[in-house]
Amino acid sequence: MRKICIHFQVVQPHLLRTYRFFDINQNHNYFDDYQNRYLIHRMADRSFLPANQLMMDLIEKYPDSLYLSMSISGSTIMLLKEYYPEALDSFKKLIATGNVEVTGSTLTHSLASLNNKNTFLEQIKLQEEILQSTFGVKPTVFCNTELIYSDEIGEWLYEAGYHTVLTEGARHILGWKSPGYLYCNPYKTDLNVLMRNPILSDDVTFRFNDSSWDQYPLSAEKMIQTIDFFPEEEPLVNLFWDYDLLGLVQQDENGIFEFFKAFLSQLASSSNHQLCTPSTIVKSNKTKSTIHVPWAISSSGEEKDHNEWLGNELQQEAFSQLFKLEELYKKSTCEYTKLTWLRLQNAFHFNFMSTKWFPHESVKRIFDVYPSPYQAFINYMNVLNDVKLQLEKTIK
Amino acid sequence: MKVLMFGWEFPPHISGGLGTACYGLTKGLAKNDVEVLFVMPKASQDEDQTYTRIIDASSIAVDFTQPHITSLFQNVSFIEVNSKLVPYVGINQYYQLVDQMRSGTLVTQASEGKRTFEFTGKYTQNLMQEVENYALVAAQIASEYDFDIIHAHDWLTYKAGVAARKISGKPLIVHVHATEFDRSGENNINDIVYGMERYGMSEADAVCAVSNWTRNIVINKYHIDAKKVFPLHNAVEPVLKEVVRKKYVKEKIVTFLGRVTFQKGPEYFIESAKKILDRDPNVRFVLAGDGDLMHNAIERVAELGISDRFHFTGFLRGAEIDEMFGMSDVYVMPSISEPFGISPLEAMRAYVPVVISKQSGVSEVLTHAIKVDFWDVDAMADAIHGILHYPALAHFLGEKGKDDVDDLRWEKVAERLKKIYNQLLNS
Repeated sequence: MRKICIHFQVVQPHLLRTYRFFDINQNHNYFDDYQNRYLIHRMADRSFLPANQLMMDLIEKYPDSLYLSMSISGSTIMLLKEYYPEALDSFKKLIATGNVEVTGSTLTHSLASLNNKNTFLEQIKLQEEILQSTFGVKPTVFCNTELIYSDEIGEWLYEAGYHTVLTEGARHILGWKSPGYLYCNPYKTDLNVLMRNPILSDDVTFRFNDSSWDQYPLSAEKMIQTIDFFPEEEPLVNLFWDYDLLGLVQQDENGIFEFFKAFLSQLASSSNHQLCTPSTIVKSNKTKSTIHVPWAISSSGEEKDHNEWLGNELQQEAFSQLFKLEELYKKSTCEYTKLTWLRLQNAFHFNFMSTKWFPHESVKRIFDVYPSPYQAFINYMNVLNDVKLQLEKTIK
Repeated sequence: MKVLMFGWEFPPHISGGLGTACYGLTKGLAKNDVEVLFVMPKASQDEDQTYTRIIDASSIAVDFTQPHITSLFQNVSFIEVNSKLVPYVGINQYYQLVDQMRSGTLVTQASEGKRTFEFTGKYTQNLMQEVENYALVAAQIASEYDFDIIHAHDWLTYKAGVAARKISGKPLIVHVHATEFDRSGENNINDIVYGMERYGMSEADAVCAVSNWTRNIVINKYHIDAKKVFPLHNAVEPVLKEVVRKKYVKEKIVTFLGRVTFQKGPEYFIESAKKILDRDPNVRFVLAGDGDLMHNAIERVAELGISDRFHFTGFLRGAEIDEMFGMSDVYVMPSISEPFGISPLEAMRAYVPVVISKQSGVSEVLTHAIKVDFWDVDAMADAIHGILHYPALAHFLGEKGKDDVDDLRWEKVAERLKKIYNQLLNS
């Protein structure tokens, strides 16, 4: 019986308001409250709430065979708590069924793992706290921002108490290997690595509504047929998606909810497939081999690297200036500014500064807030400058 | 393919962008195997004729014994116009000329029913008379020369283009480099100029506009059928020598270069300067150029109390412009309505990062420039400040901007134009 591991990443950033240079050292309200409220409502109404309802209904129908996993960033939890508590309750109910494994992540969809171990561990710890207080769970499986992973990041995660990590089945890493096996970190062999099947996952994300695609329209049957076509000895299929795929990236009108309903129901009632959480997979499956990831990979673009966030000079500059404030963060007593610094690590901010045009940018840029990467950079740097001043002022 | 092209000026004797654009275009067309006969009112014989043959309208004898020519001009009356008649740029010289020039440029010598006209080729109060005479000469040229298509640049030459079309029956393209709405603003439209523009556009078989911004004005304000209006963006000539970066002051320099007129939005530059200087006095602002808003500009700068950091250079030319770019850290073009706007490209060629208004044609072809609404002084100031204070941004924009400009070549523009020519010839 083939195991199907389905994971959803729930992320939404705190967007910055237009913050001019003359606001520096004058105003410290950095976030666009109106926009953030609007967007989290839009997201919840179109995606989270109907998707949660769909999952609840299915779990009720298949309580013993429908299992999923999900990560939900601390930022998203905070946004929901502040602007849409009903939607947060809906997540609480879903998680309370016990059929959804909550995986660990960073608090603010942070890019810290790309250069800063201490901050990364801090982010993980804070996220564990918010998961504990909100859902009463403690994760043992980790899903990093945009599936970013390297051997070194794996070691850090192992140190932080995780036994499994989800990442991208990047072709340049796997080579002839298949993502359909369980792998482990070469230095910490107790750390299991689950690798996403990029083709199948992206069939839904990018091609579901693409009428020029030769497999269009995609149906649950077709998807399961493709899965059954994989070599029999491959025990796993890992399908990882952003949760807003349901209803936002792909719209309700195009039948995305119907697709998931059929897909999950058929898998849950099939005798050849078993829906599993990452934890149950690592309990029942042996690792096939080690997987070497010397440089960070991610789910981004065709290259599966970190170019989308640190690909140009502006992004690199902002990133390096950001982490120069680490010592100030540790010493400061101002919780609000400290939290802002953590939020500034959000991958979305760096995404806005990207000058790389890859084919699917529109998917990631559902809410492009800046007219150009240059204005995104200027705005970010203005905020960062004030954060620096405020941290300096509040050193204990 | 042979094109009969009507212009008003050609390098080296130019007062602004129109002549430069004509030169670039003829050069690009030559590379695309299109032959150009370039007619201008007054040639000085030192024009670069490598790529085109220049016909000096002043040397053409109009044969008044030919009834088909005279019949075109039976009802011509000359109207003296007293307004901002400047196509494209060069209002500085215009005002000087108006002051200096004697009226009555029409001096003729008649012999055996033929006579020649003397043109100044400048923008004077007798402009309208020159425009009419130019059309008369155009008709004569059209009956003497062999060509496939007619191309007329800006409203001064439209009438000439239409006359040539009537005589020869060949298709006419009028090329809109600026409209009366850009020059004078919504509420000060000169009816005669507007009428002349609309006449040319209506009579033409196709209209080329230097941007979509201008194309929309042609469609919406001149009511020209959108199907015959094509956007044709300008380009720049590659530089022969690199601009030398050389500064004489330690402060960063922010530059505005252009006519100090309504259209160019100098007041937004001044207001932005004030916002920046309030937070950082270590910046110098330079307003390079001259024009009818100069006095207002100087007064406003004094009123804001920033005169010690705000400098006026007056009109710059040639080497002075290069030197100005060489010391600039940011170039700003806050134009209210700019059909194209070549100056940011000249700045970018010198690796200077630019902030430009969205209300410009050039913003349609640039990727690596910061674009703001001309009225959004906060955004403009923030963009300038960002470039001044975040070195990574200045460096990135400088390098990428250069690539951007190097990509805008007249050869490519001419290639697109040739397609339009072919489309007209085949229809």
